[in-house]
Amino acid sequence: MSQPIRDKARELLQTRKVDCVIGYERATDGITARPLFVYDVKDVDRLIFDRTCVHNLSRYLRDRRDRMTAIVAKPCDARGINMLLNEHQLDRQKLFIIGVVCHGVDERCWGQTDTRQQARCQWCRQHVPPVYDFLVGEKPAGEPPSAGFPDIEEFEKKSPAERRAFWEEQYRACIRCNACRHSCPGCYCQECFAENLDPTWIGIRIAPAESQIWNLVRAFHLSGRCVDCGACEQACPVNIPLMLLNRKLQKDGIEFFGFEPGLSAEAVPPFATFRKDERPGGEG
Amino acid sequence: MLFFSEKSLTAWLNHLMLDRTVLAPVRGTNDLVYFQSITNSEAIFIKSQNAALSPKDWFFPRSETIMSFITKDGKTQIIPATMEKDAVIFGIRPCDARAISLIDRPFLAEPVDALYQERRNRTALVGIACVTVCQECFCTSMGSGPFDPGALDIMLTPVDSGFAVQVVTDKGKKLLEKAIIQDRELTLPKPPEVKPVPSAGVTEAMRRVFNNVYWDRVADRCIHCNICAFVCPCCYCFDVRDYKGKDRIERVRSWESCESALFTRAAGGHNPRPSKGARMRQRFAHKLLYFPEIFGELKCTGCGRCVRNCPVNIDIREIIHDVQKLARE
Amino acid sequence: MVTAYQPRIIGFLCNWCSYAGADLAGTSRISYPGNIRIIRVPCSARVDPLFIVKAFQYGADGVLVAGCHPGDCHYSEGNYHTRRRLALLHSFLDFTGIERERVRLEWVSASEGRRWSQVVTDFTAQVAALGPRVK
Repeated sequence: MSQPIRDKARELLQTRKVDCVIGYERATDGITARPLFVYDVKDVDRLIFDRTCVHNLSRYLRDRRDRMTAIVAKPCDARGINMLLNEHQLDRQKLFIIGVVCHGVDERCWGQTDTRQQARCQWCRQHVPPVYDFLVGEKPAGEPPSAGFPDIEEFEKKSPAERRAFWEEQYRACIRCNACRHSCPGCYCQECFAENLDPTWIGIRIAPAESQIWNLVRAFHLSGRCVDCGACEQACPVNIPLMLLNRKLQKDGIEFFGFEPGLSAEAVPPFATFRKDERPGGEG
Repeated sequence: MLFFSEKSLTAWLNHLMLDRTVLAPVRGTNDLVYFQSITNSEAIFIKSQNAALSPKDWFFPRSETIMSFITKDGKTQIIPATMEKDAVIFGIRPCDARAISLIDRPFLAEPVDALYQERRNRTALVGIACVTVCQECFCTSMGSGPFDPGALDIMLTPVDSGFAVQVVTDKGKKLLEKAIIQDRELTLPKPPEVKPVPSAGVTEAMRRVFNNVYWDRVADRCIHCNICAFVCPCCYCFDVRDYKGKDRIERVRSWESCESALFTRAAGGHNPRPSKGARMRQRFAHKLLYFPEIFGELKCTGCGRCVRNCPVNIDIREIIHDVQKLARE
Repeated sequence: MVTAYQPRIIGFLCNWCSYAGADLAGTSRISYPGNIRIIRVPCSARVDPLFIVKAFQYGADGVLVAGCHPGDCHYSEGNYHTRRRLALLHSFLDFTGIERERVRLEWVSASEGRRWSQVVTDFTAQVAALGPRVK
């Protein structure tokens, strides 16, 4: 996987098609990966791609919107690109997407070799990026199985009291580092609701009540936009199972509105539209 | 040598819990280890890796009301925050203890942070030596070491069926008054090897590479979250705001990070550190240049938490290597 | 003397239909439980789910969002968006342990004073049966 990416990157930089290739390289533990910005051909051989490449690099594109950039994109990352194109945050003409066929990535555990596959990958149906200019890897034959959201269904079996207790423990653990927000391609607001002063929705207090608002509203602001890349959960230093919140909203987005974010740059997101006759539930 | 059997150590801790807050590493949410107040010594969990967050949280809480104001009948009353009981932090590692002594330098300098000072005076540090180290530890290059008793009141080194006890300070001596300690022939374990990092002369090197484009390149991948500053045992940036409570105004102080984009934004919108590269450079300049210039010591104790937790692997060890190399060019 | 638990309910009412309907209940002297505190918004679509979560943080036990009937929105389409948003929010809050019965979306027109009082009476009883949100 790594060599075709390197070769393409070399070609793109040498022909000046792009100023920068955003990809992955090996991290300092020799095991995990980290993002790499290649500006010069001499650094091209640092690029790698394997199951440790978990970051969603599309979150870096919005700072480079006016410059030609190539990006290595897994299917979920490419969905992120589509979502950003949909919301007019990126210029497609300025992007060269090196799409990678993906069969799953692993949990990012610093310094550990025996890590397991990320849970979301076993149910993912996008093994081929929905948008790319150059594809690396063999397209799988046939459609991936429809796997649904067994993790959400499992969690929903808990009683309301159990669910409340579970999440309250997580709100207590949250230290409000905002890594979830910063690793997410969908969180690009110049001023996040959390930083609003008038009215102060959250403020600076790091305590369970405020952290509840933070986590719930951030997830909700991503409903219809979250592309299931898992970057937030991988970044979280206190291991909050953020994907449970995000995937619940994804599941409902599909059930209520038949919408999966990021599959196309032209689709109309669910909250930008409606049907007059629908009954999505919740009415008295 | 002084020796604590496991049994007498447990008894001593239980005794301390009667009239003191005892903080120790325990298994917490999502299987991470945190320093928490305990009422039962069974809860203590000391495994080879350090706790996820350092106990700086006790002296410098992630979020606290430092004082409240009540206005009644035209008079304003200031209600300071207070510390209920004396405290003991058990199971703290040498790196984390040294980090607290580094935070002392600005917080106990004039004007003294009274809250911090009270906590420091009334809290004893009972440390445990590290007989194993993580691959990302580099305490020996940062003025500490796996067996360093420097910033502790009592140092415990694990030996067969108990701990060797080293009384470091008078506070520690007083704390051990009711403890049952034997005198024994003990073989102390050898301190483990810690990988070195070229920290000697890094301050001068930082000065030389201050304007290097290197900082922009490192900052490319930085996502400007607050993780590094929050997990670091010696980072102490904070924000203070007043909030209206039910019948009072509360002044809240919370952790902040120099990495976050709004950290230096002033009212009116001016931001003296607007670029990613400037913020990246600030973090390492504070640790390796400004703090040593003012206080004579590097503001890092090699605990490795930032290395373990940074989502994009901005590794201070690598930065130090690179800075030294660039300074020579 | 032990008083029965009184839930605290926040109502977000759209200015054009629901608020007028509630006003009509008042002028018609139709009584309904006083647990509800009303916040007037220009349109039910103004209600960001953030407001609802914040209301719960501040101590609300139930939140009622009331708007114009679909098709009658003063701003043509607002309530269609509200409908989608609240559907998702219900399900989501329930997932996090805030029972779906604590949030309700109702359509109340300016002429439905009696209906307004019925809605509030019903919702107040429903929320009371659940007990306080924070035990």
